[in-house]
Amino acid sequence: MIQAKELYKSFDDLHVLKGISAVFEKGKNNLIIGKSGSGKTVFMKCLLGLIELDSGSILYDDRNFSRMDFQEKKRLRQEIGMLFQGGALFDSLTVEKNIMFPLTMFTRWSYQEKRKRVDYCLDRVNMAGSNELMPAELSGGMNKRVAIARAIVMEPGYLFCDEPNSGLDPKTGVLIDNLINEITKDLGMTTIINTHDMNSVLAIGDQVIFLNQGEVAWKGAKEEILDTTDPVINEFVYATEMAKRLKGK
Amino acid sequence: MNWLFHLGRYTLLMLRSLRRPDKHRVFFGRVLTEINNLGVNSLPIVLIISVFVGAVVSLQAAFNMDSPWIPEYAVGLTTRQSIILEFSPTIISVILAGKVGSSIASEIGSMRISEQIEALEIMGINPASHLITPKMIAAVIINPFLITISMVVAIFGGWLGALASDVITGDAYIIGIKSYFKLYDVFYALFKTAIFAFIITSVASYQGFYVKGGAIEVGRCSTQAVVNTSILIIFANLILTQIMLT
Repeated sequence: MIQAKELYKSFDDLHVLKGISAVFEKGKNNLIIGKSGSGKTVFMKCLLGLIELDSGSILYDDRNFSRMDFQEKKRLRQEIGMLFQGGALFDSLTVEKNIMFPLTMFTRWSYQEKRKRVDYCLDRVNMAGSNELMPAELSGGMNKRVAIARAIVMEPGYLFCDEPNSGLDPKTGVLIDNLINEITKDLGMTTIINTHDMNSVLAIGDQVIFLNQGEVAWKGAKEEILDTTDPVINEFVYATEMAKRLKGK
Repeated sequence: MNWLFHLGRYTLLMLRSLRRPDKHRVFFGRVLTEINNLGVNSLPIVLIISVFVGAVVSLQAAFNMDSPWIPEYAVGLTTRQSIILEFSPTIISVILAGKVGSSIASEIGSMRISEQIEALEIMGINPASHLITPKMIAAVIINPFLITISMVVAIFGGWLGALASDVITGDAYIIGIKSYFKLYDVFYALFKTAIFAFIITSVASYQGFYVKGGAIEVGRCSTQAVVNTSILIIFANLILTQIMLT
């Protein structure tokens, strides 16, 4: 479980996070949604410690991340997996070496042991046999799947996903959503997903937080978001033509 | 005060890069890879430029010293001193700043904009010591070898130029390059080279590490890296010469 308590962050005069508090539960897909510029990315980067907070605290299973020193943060980060928007695979390494990289850095496993784990992770994301491909040879969906394999190779307790469906066709987007959902339930991870995609919200959103202008404007389960009467949330949820037509029916 | 901001941020990055590597075996592997990337791959351009500039320096010296009052061997002596003291350590380093510096800045800059550096950080790996330190160590080790090779090849090029000039004989050139030789000059040149290697790799890495934006900014940071390293090399050259040769 991850708890964010009263997080504040400003850049000069721009107040991006205005006292955000949230609880992200273990074994659930916790989705953060909101319009562009609502503070989602800054919020996630603060949770990961990539941006320093002005005030507030972040607890990873009761361990205060904000008060940790460099070495403690480093150890905790080995329990975190991250799926970046663009995949962030290392260009110069093959798929196998990309996935093996955290194992090489943090374990004393033999090559055979690492290879076995890599093959398991590739199999888990339906990419078995792609070990020798380079990132440049992968399609957008394959790139994301390899990035998921790399994110779970150390069996993390926490998984962060930044816009996992961006740039993907709807069918591949659904595949990625289902994959994240399966892995979250199987490994019992605390998963936090930053997304614009309402389809993801309705498909896998166990818990949804709506951010608006740096504040939590709404929170609840995926079923409840369609029934809310809040005009700001409705504007976001029914922004697409398809959603408007379905609502009309 | 902008330069003060950059100086402070550069110093902090260098301090980060001096932290203990996350895994020594991986670190030394990366140093060897960088020795190949930064050093061995630069050898062809160093050889080509050295042989031609060596020849030109000796030709210029030969035509400008074509006087009965100046001994013939002075051409070899002048060429050797020009090459050892300035051409090889400084000019070749400036050329390497163009080749290696732009490549480092664009490599690290591309990693930054494609979130690969964030990925390292989230994995709990110090990106500065993982990406930058191996490049600095590799360049400080390999550049003095490159410059030594450049000196030898340029002096050989000077001999070819001397023969082509018809002003002096090859024997007189060889007597010249052996005359009044001081080993300290070579030490001075290689010491300078190591300092320049550190400047090239650290400044170019700094430019790439903090790039923001997209492909245009990466290109811009790469150009800026070459400009900054070239200026710093020339400035450091002046200071080192003042300290070590006076």
